[in-house]
Amino acid sequence: MNRIPPAQRRIVAVALLAAASAAWWFSGYAGQDRIGEIAIAAIFAMSLDLLVGYGGMVSLGHALFFGLGAYALAGLTLFLKWPPAAALPLAILLTGLVALVIGRLIIHLTGVFFIMVTLAFGQMGWAWFARDKVFGGIGGLSGIPQLDLSILDADLANPADFALVALTVATLVYLALARLIDSPFGAVVSAVHRNENRARALGCPVQHYKLAVFTVAAMLAALAGTLQAQRTGFVSPDLLVWTSSGEVLIMVIIGGLGSLLGPIVGAALWTLLHHYLSAVTPYWMAIMGAFFIAIVLLAGEGLYGALARLTRSRRRV
Amino acid sequence: MFRAEGLCKSFGALEVARGISLQLPRGARHAIVGPNGSGKTTLFNLLSGELRPDAGQVYIEGRDVTSLSPDARARAGLTRSFQKNNLFPDLTVLESLAVAVGIGVGAGTIFWRPFVRSTEIYRRAAAIAERIRLTPFLDAVVGTLPYGTQRQLEIGLALAIEPKILLLDEPTAGMSADETAEMAKLIADLPGELALLVIEHDMEIVFDFARRITVLDYGSVLAEGTPAEIRASPEVRRRYLGETAR
Repeated sequence: MNRIPPAQRRIVAVALLAAASAAWWFSGYAGQDRIGEIAIAAIFAMSLDLLVGYGGMVSLGHALFFGLGAYALAGLTLFLKWPPAAALPLAILLTGLVALVIGRLIIHLTGVFFIMVTLAFGQMGWAWFARDKVFGGIGGLSGIPQLDLSILDADLANPADFALVALTVATLVYLALARLIDSPFGAVVSAVHRNENRARALGCPVQHYKLAVFTVAAMLAALAGTLQAQRTGFVSPDLLVWTSSGEVLIMVIIGGLGSLLGPIVGAALWTLLHHYLSAVTPYWMAIMGAFFIAIVLLAGEGLYGALARLTRSRRRV
Repeated sequence: MFRAEGLCKSFGALEVARGISLQLPRGARHAIVGPNGSGKTTLFNLLSGELRPDAGQVYIEGRDVTSLSPDARARAGLTRSFQKNNLFPDLTVLESLAVAVGIGVGAGTIFWRPFVRSTEIYRRAAAIAERIRLTPFLDAVVGTLPYGTQRQLEIGLALAIEPKILLLDEPTAGMSADETAEMAKLIADLPGELALLVIEHDMEIVFDFARRITVLDYGSVLAEGTPAEIRASPEVRRRYLGETAR
């Protein structure tokens, strides 16, 4: 687990936000759409970092909650005709409830068993939505209405506005997670991750903490999922397929487990590489794979860990 | 304060605890001795809740805790140290103690205020560091400390939750003579009202601090009594002391 002094984290956070703002300012239509996509991936990756990097629970089914958030929003707005402003928070809450139930069942599992069971739950979700006719089966559903932000003089259909809104939400999620991690709650969660057995011997109700982390991580993934449905106006089973869970795990590992900011960089890199490489060569997946392997072999703690090591060694000189 | 009655545990055909009973009044200084494989650590696991007994009961202040998990027993006032160091190696000494105090007072439900601003918790953590003689190492990363110093922290973490009953599993295991002497002082300085149960091989330490001794052999109580009674018992001398404390 990376241990990042809050002061250092703040500096990097400001630098990242400045870079994102500059990219937004200098980008055209397509670039701004990309920024919105990255902001969503960043929220998704941060939520998984809370679960894996801080909570120590490696999940291969995190996209289930991303997809559930999006589908819940689709169902509430399209079938029940709820306004998006009310449907958004409810979609996140509903996903949280599902996570609470799933978590209650599986939270005591460790290691490979936890990984496999999260994978199984994710695939159950995928299989359900791929079959289910109400939500359009494999073809999905389109026409999800967007939040009306005319009071802010913004239109989510416009990529520039959407990117700003998504960046703002990502920043708020980062701030909230940073607070959570630095709090006594975060300290206890990290202690459980570091040495569950000892934390229990000290009287910590370990399962409660893990369940809380699991649920919060799922709700933040749902938030990212609802934003994705807002961006594209469309949901399909692809949102919760297991390779999507794998990709977000890769973003977190590239960026640096337990660094909160690293996964944002991982999300940006992965999204950009994905787009630009796939436009250049049909073998883009192989190149992405090689990139991932290189990061893991050369910088085991991810990009953030490598950066931290560089600054540390420079200070020693 | 603390009572165990008729604890039995078998792993398959191997009986590791055969009807062990034990009583610790407030302020007890009780040692458990016995040859390797006599079931000492198994008994600790039964008392702390890491193992469920096949038969028998455990009571904390008159309350039956036999079915409670280790964390629930810790909240009821019983905790333990471990034979092998069981710490948070990448935290500093102060951070480790602070998180242990935090767990003890249930601070983990606070999720909005930075932990470093919990000054009362950090003050108590520093006080415990002083009690276990680790004040000079407050900001040292635990994993980089010498083994004996880590052993002291092992006890410090347990003290951090202000237990009523403390079980120490071989506090001097693997220590040098100097470190052992330091540990003996530390044990002697533990809070008087604490009920203390210690597994220890070093008979000098045992006769030093213990007011009662239980001798285990093959999972059952071979003898129990004051140090003088244990020293005088012909059976204990033959089966245990004779072979190790020469």
